[in-house]
Amino acid sequence: MKNLIRSLFVFALLAACSREDTVLISYENPELELEVPFGFPEFNNSVYTNKPTKYGVALGEKLFQDTRLSADNSVSCASCHIQEHAFADRNAKGIGIEGRIGLRNTPPVQNMAFMKVFNWDGNIRVLENQPLVPIITHFEMDSSILEVIGKLEEDPEYIELFNKAFNGEGITADGIYNSIAQFEYTLISANSKYDKVIREAGETFTETEALGYQVFQDKCVSCHSTELFTDQSFRNIGFPLNSDHEEAGRSRVTGAVEDFMRFRVPSLRNIAHTEPYGSFGQFETLRAVLDYFDNGVLEADNLDPILKENNNRIPLSETEKDQLMAFMHTLSDSEFIGK
Amino acid sequence: MKTQTLENMKKFLLLPAIALAFVSCSDDDVPVANDVTLEFNNTFNGKTIVLGDATSSDATINTSVEGQVHHFSELKYVISNIILVKEDGTEIPYNVNDLDEGATVIDQSKEETLEYVLNDIPTDDYAQIIFGLGVRSDLNTLDEVSNPGFYAEAGANDTQMHWEWGTGYRFTKIEGFYDTDNKALSFHSGSTVKASEDDENINVPGFDAYREITLDLPAMAKVGEHSPKIVIEADFDHLLSGKTNKILLDDSNATPSAHTSVSMSQYVDNIGGNGSSDITGMFSVSEVEN
Repeated sequence: MKNLIRSLFVFALLAACSREDTVLISYENPELELEVPFGFPEFNNSVYTNKPTKYGVALGEKLFQDTRLSADNSVSCASCHIQEHAFADRNAKGIGIEGRIGLRNTPPVQNMAFMKVFNWDGNIRVLENQPLVPIITHFEMDSSILEVIGKLEEDPEYIELFNKAFNGEGITADGIYNSIAQFEYTLISANSKYDKVIREAGETFTETEALGYQVFQDKCVSCHSTELFTDQSFRNIGFPLNSDHEEAGRSRVTGAVEDFMRFRVPSLRNIAHTEPYGSFGQFETLRAVLDYFDNGVLEADNLDPILKENNNRIPLSETEKDQLMAFMHTLSDSEFIGK
Repeated sequence: MKTQTLENMKKFLLLPAIALAFVSCSDDDVPVANDVTLEFNNTFNGKTIVLGDATSSDATINTSVEGQVHHFSELKYVISNIILVKEDGTEIPYNVNDLDEGATVIDQSKEETLEYVLNDIPTDDYAQIIFGLGVRSDLNTLDEVSNPGFYAEAGANDTQMHWEWGTGYRFTKIEGFYDTDNKALSFHSGSTVKASEDDENINVPGFDAYREITLDLPAMAKVGEHSPKIVIEADFDHLLSGKTNKILLDDSNATPSAHTSVSMSQYVDNIGGNGSSDITGMFSVSEVEN
């Protein structure tokens, strides 16, 4: 009996020792300081619950660029979310593996830390829930989270980076979702010419830009409001309809008749670099969008009241269009798009 | 006093021993638990459905109350959250929080999926069955890590019961044809609702397509010596001609976009009940074989 107790005691000691060894491996992973730019709204809640860290963001960026997230290792997030197009692309509709064409236009990934609702139809409210969607969608990456984890586990670099980012937890699904979201939280565009004018940081509008800003405030700002240049509401503005039978706009999410073909108001930041425009790239140029509003939009029961009150159009003279174009170009952030 | 207590003690000790002896004598052959098989019979008005393509001559053709002929080429739905209810009302939940062990995809084109065996149901008499058509919102997250088995079963190429953009499962998938010119009929249901409504920061205001079905058994399912089979009929005549809604198909509601936006709830209420006045939808128990 004594012997047994003694050996148990020794065993306990050994166990304690070895446990201490693992505890000793601690990971230095400082939180990043993100600042709310001048005039911007507060960060959304997830930025506080999934705080961007040095290695979390590094991991997220690496995953964002990694084609192993797709079934045939051909497509990464960055294939469609290209920096020089404000993390969108030039295709009318997203293109996934094997050239498969999706339902909608790739949305830019910018200022996500301030957005309360994501995607054209607002099906996502928490950014951490988004990365799974392209990974599993047939016409995007067509993979699965376990398939992705399996590939990443073969790469020692990833094992180390996950451990550093998430305190030794190894490669997990949540680690993938959280790190990609952390990286996206750092993609903040707030240093365009417009911002420098507003902040009085040594830039001034040209006369045309200033007049364009005036037209914008008269005819656009009720939807493209706040420093995000979207009020994040869902509206049917009578754009040409996507004939894909899967498309129903916001009502695909809510099931509500009044949400039929309503889409989230897009931000106008870096708008000069995200053509084509519209939920499925209906318009090749910004000018075409302005012409369409001027000529009149499609009638619908739930057409936005602002358009209904104005005979289904936003009247714009050719001069006003020139001015608006000039103003919208001041929303380009060359630092953000890397050129 | 003391001796009396001791005597009582003895009696008490004896009682369970006697009880045990009885139990082991009388129930010698009866196991403590046994299987229950659920058999799904998918019909139009009691006639088992034969699937077929547009011009099939074998397919079972149904006519709606609005007079529209229709037949199906594909018919799938998810059953989960199964609960057997004893005569006294006690509920025996069957792996209700584990989709791998407690949920299945019924696929009319695969005979093996039409029977689902519940293992180790405690020996007793059961009077009622409750199950979900679809997946409860709290489990409806396409979580492959937690439920790799069900994820694979639902997501297989020939099943396609993932609803990727909604990060949930398809609850029902019906493809078929209607009217004499065989126009496409396509009905997919699934929930888009996420999280709880009281947390507006994360709540996605969506549609809850999950329906809980409660069915009385026509005869007691006697689990123990027997492993009963409960035959559940799903009468898809209800899809267009339900207790809640009578649906006339046209260009605006026979394809998925219109379903998701306008009328998915009408179809869902028809086949799954409206959750209040109708808790059976298209389902009934036609037979219990003990």
